[in-house]
Amino acid sequence: MIDLRRHNTVLVGHERYFLFQTETRWRMVHDRCPHRGGPLSLARRTPDGRRLSCPWHGTKIGVAALCRTALPMVRSGDEATVVLPGTSQDAPVSVIRRRILANLPPDADAETDPTDCNSSTGSAQPH
Amino acid sequence: MPSTELTDAVSAYCAHRIFQAGPEIYLRGNPYQRPVGFGDLDNVDFTVPLTEDQFLDHRQLVAGRMLTNAYESGMVFLPPEGVGPVLPDFELFYDDEVRRQRDVVRPRLERFVFSFLETSTPKPAVRTLDELEAYFLAEVNAVGSPADQTGNNPAVNTTAPVRGTMRAITECRHAEEAAALHLIQLAPDALIEASAMARNLPGSYGVAQSELFKIFLDEFGYGVYEAKHSTIFKKMLASVGMHTDVHAYWHFYLSGSLVGNNYFNYLAEDRRGVFRYMSAVTYLEWLFAQGFADTGTMLRVVFGDRVDTKYCDEHAHIDIHHGRMAYENLLLGLARTHGEVVIPELVRGVEETKVLMRLGDEDFLAQIRWADSLDEHTRLGAVLATSAVDEGTAVSRAPDDPFTTRVYDTDRLIAVADGEVDVYAWATERPHRLGPGDVLLVPRGRLHGLKAASGQVNYTVREVSRNGPAD
Repeated sequence: MIDLRRHNTVLVGHERYFLFQTETRWRMVHDRCPHRGGPLSLARRTPDGRRLSCPWHGTKIGVAALCRTALPMVRSGDEATVVLPGTSQDAPVSVIRRRILANLPPDADAETDPTDCNSSTGSAQPH
Repeated sequence: MPSTELTDAVSAYCAHRIFQAGPEIYLRGNPYQRPVGFGDLDNVDFTVPLTEDQFLDHRQLVAGRMLTNAYESGMVFLPPEGVGPVLPDFELFYDDEVRRQRDVVRPRLERFVFSFLETSTPKPAVRTLDELEAYFLAEVNAVGSPADQTGNNPAVNTTAPVRGTMRAITECRHAEEAAALHLIQLAPDALIEASAMARNLPGSYGVAQSELFKIFLDEFGYGVYEAKHSTIFKKMLASVGMHTDVHAYWHFYLSGSLVGNNYFNYLAEDRRGVFRYMSAVTYLEWLFAQGFADTGTMLRVVFGDRVDTKYCDEHAHIDIHHGRMAYENLLLGLARTHGEVVIPELVRGVEETKVLMRLGDEDFLAQIRWADSLDEHTRLGAVLATSAVDEGTAVSRAPDDPFTTRVYDTDRLIAVADGEVDVYAWATERPHRLGPGDVLLVPRGRLHGLKAASGQVNYTVREVSRNGPAD
């Protein structure tokens, strides 16, 4: 179980996933630009809101394409259950706390709250 | 420092065994072995800066080698086969006393080598941010890399026919040697992975620092060894049968290449050069995209399908991004942040880079034209044999004698009295052989090394005055 008030990025092996908010729902998507692997969790939305601009090379990634990388997730009330790839139920998963910059509106201030930026790792039980 | 003190300091620095020539043509398995010359530096004056007219002088070549040694003794080098067999050289390369001597000679050699740029570079009247933007776009347009319709991305045509220097390589009789010599000139930077760029990462300078770091991160393949640019550069060398050791081709770096590579370390050594560095990198990153597309095309023309051009293809792609990123966030970004006071330095970096690229290109073209026509220059040498202006210097060589390359400041004739000698004007397994009675014309500034091909060879080196054919 992930406490969305504290964590939004999950490290599974060497792959990162982050929670991404679309107009209709939350999804846990791949934190890797298909161009060169840039961190899409630090991306900004384009003015039309339909794409993310990767912070490494400025490559534009369509939100629809990004959502196709989403992990299977079922949400019930305040709880969401995600199927993480390649893990058994008891395998440790690192959870990284980070503000979801990708969900900022395009004209929002890029500065992050230092209290939100302090990354920490810990163990969570994947479900 | 009086002349004698500097020459004494240079002699003391170069006297260490790692800076002395051995018999090897290619330096392998030992990144600390970096010959400067033949130990004939006792009477060389490095106090009066070179002029542009003296760019190809022998002093330039040996100063370039010394500066490369000086800068790189601040970087980590470990041979891939393990340091054990060369541990004494490892210890000496990073020795306290050697580094102290380095610190004595380095700033004076920098003045000797780079001062000419102050008078050789135009000073365009660029004062405002808008003028800087217009100036830069005009400059890249003038060399065939215009911005595309978005106003900043350099366009790349991967199907463009080879032109300029790349075309000259393909037109050589010994095109593979010429192409290899070109790759060798890229190696001082490519095989040590943009280390001059790494020297500009520490500190605190805002958005530009993050942008340079992203470019650097690309060069390092995001920490994946197989994607590291030096790794794929080595694969390109290996695919055409070339050595992959760092500085294996140390003897075949041309003066123009050494000066150009050292320039970026020079700007990093003196932090006041940071704005020049950033604009120079911007200019190069912008041009690299099409430049590496052209290089890949040239290599495929020369070597056919066997050459692995991923390194070129990779840069032709990623440098489109780097050109844009550097332009927006290094060149214009620094001008926005720091104001018009830094714009002259930003312009100066571009102008100095243009001069160094022009001189380096001229040096390379003259070298491949000469190296490709040693038969013709042997015929010319015979014609000029009676025109020597001095008695010359008699030289006797055996096969295991020290080997290094050099240039002469005037045209010279190498006349073989007896025995045979191989001439290396580029890195080749098919050197040009001179026998008894042969006379080779070596034009001023042309790099060459001689290796005895018989048990003993005796030859003379004489100065010649000519008004004949071009190099």
